[in-house]
Amino acid sequence: MKISLNWLRKYVDIDISDEDLIRTIGARLVEVEGVIDETHKYDSIYIVRVEKAEKIPDTHLTLCQVNVGDVDIPKVQKNEDGLVQVVCGAPNVREGMLAVWIAPGAVVPASVHEDAPFVIGKRKMLGKYESNGMLAGADELDFDDKHEKIAEVDSAVAQPGDTLAEVFGLNDKILDIENKSLTHRPDCFGVIGFAREVAGILGKKFVEPDFLHEETVFPEGFLTVEKDGPASRDATLDIEITNAEICPRYTGAVLKVTDATAEDKYLSEIQILIAKSGMMPVSRIVDVTNYLMLLTGQPLHAFDYDKFLKVGGKDTAKILVREAQPGETLELLDGKTIECIPSDILITSNGVPVALAGAMGGKNTEIDENTKNILLEAATFSLYHLRKTQMVHGIFTEAITRFTKGVPMSGTFNVLAEAVKEMNAKPLELRDKACVPFATNMVEVLVEDINRLLGTEYSRGLIIKTLENVGFMIVDAGDSLQVTVPAWRTDIHIKEDIIEEVGRLLGYDNIVPTLPLHQTAEPNRMWELKKRIREMMWRLGANELLTYSFAAGRLLERAGQDPKNSYKIVNSISPELQYVRQSIVPSLLDKAYVNQKIPFDTFALYEMNKVYQKEWGMNDEKVPVEKMQMGMVLAERKGIGTAYYKAKIYMANILDELNITAKYLPMKDGDEAVNRPFEPKRSAIVIADDGAVLGVVGEFKNSVRRSFKLAEYTAGFELNLDTVLQKIGGKRDIYLGEVEKRDLTVKTTGTYAELIDKINTLLMQNSVKAIITPISIYQPEGAEEKNISVHLEFHQKIDDNIMEELEKLS
Amino acid sequence: MTEIESLKQELKKVNAEYAGIRNVPAEERAEFGRKINAKKQEILAKIVATEKKMLDTQVEPIDVTAFCAPNESIPEVYSQEYGSRHPLATEIDRVCEIYQMMGFDVVESRQLDDEYHMFDSLNFAKEHPARDGYDTFRTEEGLIPPAHTSTMQHRVLKEYRDKLAQGKNIAVVVPGRVYRNEDVDATHEHTFYQCEGVYVSRECNMGQMLGILREFFEKYYEQKLEIRTQPGYFPFTEPSLEFMIEKPKSLGGKKGDFLEMLGCGMIHPNVLKMAGIDPAEYHGFAWGGGMDRLVMLKYGLSDVRAFESGNLSFLRNFR
Repeated sequence: MKISLNWLRKYVDIDISDEDLIRTIGARLVEVEGVIDETHKYDSIYIVRVEKAEKIPDTHLTLCQVNVGDVDIPKVQKNEDGLVQVVCGAPNVREGMLAVWIAPGAVVPASVHEDAPFVIGKRKMLGKYESNGMLAGADELDFDDKHEKIAEVDSAVAQPGDTLAEVFGLNDKILDIENKSLTHRPDCFGVIGFAREVAGILGKKFVEPDFLHEETVFPEGFLTVEKDGPASRDATLDIEITNAEICPRYTGAVLKVTDATAEDKYLSEIQILIAKSGMMPVSRIVDVTNYLMLLTGQPLHAFDYDKFLKVGGKDTAKILVREAQPGETLELLDGKTIECIPSDILITSNGVPVALAGAMGGKNTEIDENTKNILLEAATFSLYHLRKTQMVHGIFTEAITRFTKGVPMSGTFNVLAEAVKEMNAKPLELRDKACVPFATNMVEVLVEDINRLLGTEYSRGLIIKTLENVGFMIVDAGDSLQVTVPAWRTDIHIKEDIIEEVGRLLGYDNIVPTLPLHQTAEPNRMWELKKRIREMMWRLGANELLTYSFAAGRLLERAGQDPKNSYKIVNSISPELQYVRQSIVPSLLDKAYVNQKIPFDTFALYEMNKVYQKEWGMNDEKVPVEKMQMGMVLAERKGIGTAYYKAKIYMANILDELNITAKYLPMKDGDEAVNRPFEPKRSAIVIADDGAVLGVVGEFKNSVRRSFKLAEYTAGFELNLDTVLQKIGGKRDIYLGEVEKRDLTVKTTGTYAELIDKINTLLMQNSVKAIITPISIYQPEGAEEKNISVHLEFHQKIDDNIMEELEKLS
Repeated sequence: MTEIESLKQELKKVNAEYAGIRNVPAEERAEFGRKINAKKQEILAKIVATEKKMLDTQVEPIDVTAFCAPNESIPEVYSQEYGSRHPLATEIDRVCEIYQMMGFDVVESRQLDDEYHMFDSLNFAKEHPARDGYDTFRTEEGLIPPAHTSTMQHRVLKEYRDKLAQGKNIAVVVPGRVYRNEDVDATHEHTFYQCEGVYVSRECNMGQMLGILREFFEKYYEQKLEIRTQPGYFPFTEPSLEFMIEKPKSLGGKKGDFLEMLGCGMIHPNVLKMAGIDPAEYHGFAWGGGMDRLVMLKYGLSDVRAFESGNLSFLRNFR
């Protein structure tokens, strides 16, 4: 939303610098995204009178002599009558008119923000007609986008030599407001509401414009308003609303108009304000509705009344507001035909749709040059319904932007009445229907409550004044303040809302930061575990990754997992991100391919993150069971040997450092989703002392490895960190006694683990303790047996008998 | 004959059958073709599955209990110089450490949650447009990969409320991964990290909130900092603020430069009430801010997409 500071100044007296004002608005009202500085946009542009206008034969051009008043521009020569010669190509140039002259050396305002702003010069046209500057159209002045004619100025407001900027207040700064920071403040989507807040933050009492707070009287003694509905003032206009929720209030008036599509003859303030606010002037009638919307935040819509009657097939108008029926269609003003959804609200003429409420009017009641009477609407609609309408039909008009914030029902009648005045039209009929009573909201709050929550010491008087400045009415009831909330503040319900108003209007930056005494934090064990692992893996030359929680169904399938076991995202960005992942390894296999392609020859990738599987079901909170897992994938493009053992070393390093004793059991065809990518013949299930499964380590199935296009030397693991956390060992035994070191080689056909068991059993029988570390495994070609060599570090002196017995093992 | 050979034989037969289409009356040909084709597809699928199975059966078993394969040397881990830690993880650790020093427990956020925790328990009115602003993903079951770490606020309040009865305060930070359905570009990711803070006590007020936040950023950037605020809007806090800090010198900040760091506010009484805490007796404040930008600023990164890229050219810069 764009807010002109000059427009604001009409409603609030601003006595601080623009910089301070903008900073204060940012700190106390709303996020200012940017400031468009227009203070020099209209420099060297003047009002002039065309004294002589002669057609140049065989061209569309006119040779004009213009009266520029006292203005003297270097190098611009005036003729003996003191007039300046300008060639003009517009059809509407004529003697006697006041026009806008862009003097040589000035920049065309519409080009100010372009990379190369267009500087007007002095030049010869058709080789002989000197033209000094140009007579500007509203498009060149950046007021609209129609390139048809030059702008004309009313002689009642200006005279030759006046600067355009002064006459129309164009030395301005425009605030670009972040709409999102006002989603709860429909009242601020109009200049008056914004000005009220600016007054509030400057500590001034806001004076409500008469037309908004006084009993409005229609011209020619029409009807007066009473503000305590539900009420409907009588007229032949019949308004029916099928459901009070969708349209709390609807005010309609029928006006007789002439030249319904005519533009203002003269450059008008309304047009300029509309342009400054980022909209385009259209015609007098539409401009008035837009201007009042920008001013008050209350959108208006004008129908062709006679078309409205014809569509409804009745002599008198029946406005029926209802929800759309399935399959109903409507052609909108922009020429698009929409198919309605049931939550769309339709304005109908006796049941026949004529507008998509709050969003856009229908083509069938569009105003055209033959329009004699208009039906003017000021209404409020359910923001929830319109929110859906906006999303489904992709309509983002200024009107619906306001309606979806929840336009309060207090303004319809007064704004409509102001529109009638501005249009200078004759009202024929009027009806105001409020379906919901006008409720006045009262909130009680203690001064102590306010200061207690904010951490301030604001006085009672200051608090009352601050609230009264922006329209709250306060009864000081001794202990408490009884606050009556103004009708436009639909967002205020509880005392905390009042506290927010006080804190905000007086400035949060005036609150003194303090520090409470703190207590001791409890360590988070999982967090600490992950920190330790991160440290270890870094030391071990591995790379920590964070990858998406969502994966393609195809990726899961390539890793051997069933997408049906994954929670499926229904509104995923792409099929690549459709399923919540079941384990970490598949994501890493994918990234291993990416890195192998770059190419990186060797790496170990790992990630610790949360995973979900449907078969794990729900927890006590009825949300899916989650597990914290660590995945690791190592890969070498040119690696030879058995990758399994390298992955195992990583796993063993972690478990060892955490003092967890683990066993590596040959993997049977594991059906667990986590195990799916792993090749059972070359993978181990890793269990703790008590049999709890810590994870899986191994090489990947050939089919998996190939589908991820990875080189042969690839392995990895998946570790369940929740279980790991439970099994972390206590203190490690530190042995400082006598030591004897021996090497041992045993010929065996069994597995390494079986041999170690045998060694341990034998040592135990001899009451001897030793730390066993592996050295090598040698298997002569074609032999069944392997020679397994280990290193023994005995925690005592031993005799050779034990070694002899050990060597006999097989 | 191997399974694959017999399947291929079958395929041949079906192909031969197809040639017989010439003898089928014209009006039955379509149906005939469909049937044969279905048969063919079925066999082709079987061939693919069998080939895959064969690929996975032609595998030599190994001794998984050993430390290396026979006649191979014991593998070595990679050199530490290749190692790296993810900058986001490192930074979130640092953030949590500082909050821990300030007495805050760390609770990690969930990555799949429900409407109740994401919205209802945070005072979002049903069907309120404010819910749309979060651009949430949804699963078939209506679950939500959370769009903010505030999804943990209700849980934290409930889990810790007994501390209040013991005369202690609730002080918790919640780091975690969050998700929004938005188009990805250099400054937008659908997956990113936030850190939430929750504080409840009998005496707490907005001055304390500003004090704690300033203290955190001064510790994090190791310098004194000016702070600023802006009014904000969140259904779960009242009042709500946007919190800014002066741009730190280490980030090249000059006088008058400010950075928006997070959203914060006094916890809405309805949120306390829903978690079984009496808002007449206790007050709280909460805040939440993005982690990704913090890291990008610190390292001068310009593309948020690098974080989840898994690309080692990027990641190995972070030791």
